[in-house]
Amino acid sequence: MVSPDAAFDSISDVRQRLAAQNYICDDNIATVVYLATRLGKPLLVEGPAGVGKTELAKVIAGGLGAQLIRMQCYEGIDEGKALYEWEYAKQLLYTQVLKDKISEVTAGATSLADAVDRITAQDDVFFSNRFILPRPLLQAIQSEQRSVLLIDEIDKADAEFEAFLLEILSDFQVTVPEIGTIEAKHIPIVLLTSNNAREMSDALKRRCLHLYIDFPTPDLELEIIRLKVPEAAEFLAQDIAGLIQALRKLDMKKKPSISETLDWAKALVIMNAKSLGDEVVRNTLSTIAKYEGDLRKTEKELATFLERKKAEQKAKDAAAASAVATEPTDGSDLLH
Amino acid sequence: MEDRIVEFAGLLRRSGIRVSTAETLDALRAVGTTGLAERPTFKIALRAAMVKRSSDVPVYDELFDLFFSGVGEVVRQTNAAAAQGQQMSEEEMRDLLDKLAELLKNANLDISELAKALALQDAGEMERILRELMESGKLPRTETNYVPPGANRQMMQMLGAADIPAEFERILDLAREQGENESELDKMRRYLEKRRKELDEMLKGLLRLDKDQQHRAEERQKDRERLLEKSFYYLSPTEIRQMRDAVAALARRLKNVMAVRFRQTKRGRLDVSATLRRSMEFGGVPFRIRWDDRRKERPQVIVLCDVSDSVRNVSRFMLQFVHSLQDMYSRVRSYVFVADLAEVTRLFKDNDIQSAIQKAINGDVVNVYAHSDFGKAFLQFHRDHIEAVDSRTTVLILGDARNNYNAPQEWVLGEIRERAKQVIWLNPENQSTWGFGDSEMNLYGKSCDYVEECRNLRQLYKVVDLLIAK
Repeated sequence: MVSPDAAFDSISDVRQRLAAQNYICDDNIATVVYLATRLGKPLLVEGPAGVGKTELAKVIAGGLGAQLIRMQCYEGIDEGKALYEWEYAKQLLYTQVLKDKISEVTAGATSLADAVDRITAQDDVFFSNRFILPRPLLQAIQSEQRSVLLIDEIDKADAEFEAFLLEILSDFQVTVPEIGTIEAKHIPIVLLTSNNAREMSDALKRRCLHLYIDFPTPDLELEIIRLKVPEAAEFLAQDIAGLIQALRKLDMKKKPSISETLDWAKALVIMNAKSLGDEVVRNTLSTIAKYEGDLRKTEKELATFLERKKAEQKAKDAAAASAVATEPTDGSDLLH
Repeated sequence: MEDRIVEFAGLLRRSGIRVSTAETLDALRAVGTTGLAERPTFKIALRAAMVKRSSDVPVYDELFDLFFSGVGEVVRQTNAAAAQGQQMSEEEMRDLLDKLAELLKNANLDISELAKALALQDAGEMERILRELMESGKLPRTETNYVPPGANRQMMQMLGAADIPAEFERILDLAREQGENESELDKMRRYLEKRRKELDEMLKGLLRLDKDQQHRAEERQKDRERLLEKSFYYLSPTEIRQMRDAVAALARRLKNVMAVRFRQTKRGRLDVSATLRRSMEFGGVPFRIRWDDRRKERPQVIVLCDVSDSVRNVSRFMLQFVHSLQDMYSRVRSYVFVADLAEVTRLFKDNDIQSAIQKAINGDVVNVYAHSDFGKAFLQFHRDHIEAVDSRTTVLILGDARNNYNAPQEWVLGEIRERAKQVIWLNPENQSTWGFGDSEMNLYGKSCDYVEECRNLRQLYKVVDLLIAK
């Protein structure tokens, strides 16, 4: 099923394959993902935390049946952690175990220089693929199939690391001095995610296609809740989506994302809440509001939301009641 | 289409979105992949390749709509008007168009592309021709909305259709030759005459559109420039909002620059003990060398802000700037004063920046309706807070130094300077007015390391850069 150069055929193909992975995406995401895989360009994904940036990489890999190679960035990450390292411990162990063999090689050496020369001749044994420890970047380059390389939270890494990454992302080849240049067999699909802790350099941005994932629209959010938390009753899901959308309009320190929405929906289902009016709901609000100030705002918004719902319901009931009230007269008219 | 996209990239650049040549090439490839058929897809593809900053997206959206749907809109509108204006039934109209199409197939007829499209009401072809004209970038441009009389003729010449009436006459001649009766010919003549007038309308519409695009790009650029140079003294509420965003953006940029500067000095000397510890796992062979993390010492900042009426806006942005950059310093302490002085550091800890600033400058902590008295404020600072100043501290004072002829108490400033690393005074007044009237700037200036004029965003930026560089 896995073709060596897995790719999407069309934009709608992207949408379908991602949907099969339980990921609903809009035209924007589908189009840009399609372009990135087609053009072989890295894709820089930005947006608020928790809108599904990392998830996107996972489902692309899933959709293509490709291997996902993930590299989590952090402050101070360096080449050794990202590209490759020599396995010193293993090399050391081998020299210990092979001590006899080494003395054999150096046996009969007339001088120290001679002995060193002989060992140097065997250099390749210790600096070969056997002792190299491939880190994510090298793994992606060496991969036998087209892989999906996720470089997560690139904004956490230092600017120097970013520069180093640029080099790899433009050539997809790595030079290991002792071994030589390793070229990528397949250009991996590269996704970089950023939470905008700092702005990425223009050089990096230039080399990438750019995708901004924002909070979902009300309809999309509802659809996602239905898909991911099918246990939630339909009207509950609607209320959740409605309230969350209202919350995002407030000035919160951390606005609830889709991941918080889903957590909350799951929590409500577990707590057996039938509607947002239930007492238990208050206890679950901490899943969507992560700061004290936000929590207070959320509680207030919940109260007004319920108030509004009640008023709407009342208006609806009144309308229904008047409809019922007029009906008999209609009927009696008919009788005449 | 390629020229069109390249030109669009130019328009984006003029509107302040940075688009490199490589990105334009990407855009061309992207469009080649998705095709042009679906406008939304086309729009997304171009954006992914050319717009890399989410804050630029609204500008992009607006310009895209303006740029890529404009010409078609002009042609369609005029065509729609044309269909209504004809005193013919739909059937007659169709007959007429069929006849014209038949006539125009004649190979011997010398007639331009434009005349042909015009006569046949071929909207797609018209759009293409007019778009090409617009792409050429040679449309006559004027400063005002007035369209000069020669402009249309000039455009017709550029289109290679200098004499449409003559061309239409040739069509009519051919129709006559082929034995068309007079009433039909008359009908045809009236129709063609009308189309010619409509072409005039289209060309005028095109000029307006072109002007609009130019104008929009220039406006935006001017807006940004204006905001940078605009004096803090006179700001409307909208401008305060814009300025707030601008200050936040500058702070972010500065943070990036600083992050690099700190890092460059990160690696220090060999850390012997850590290296030895690390070597244990390799049987004492020091495979991994450990280095000291030499931290560049982060400066401490103390900000003294005058919040009297005259300089309140400057203080607002100064406080925002300093506190947005809080993690660049090891510690920030801020004070506000008019005649009395109060510390507001806590306010910034407990509230988000904007509400803290509101509280700090709105009279909740000090009486802002008093008359400025720098001397008194300095005395209070000396009495209660002087220990906060040490040799790593930068003291930043913001005020116009208009002391209402009170005792200046400049010795306090001298003492602060002795203790502090540096003292910087920012004055939002024009430098030429310093020292006149009740301004004590020259006296205070003697006890400062730097005295800078800080009247607008550009100067503020310069000052903050100075603050960190040292």
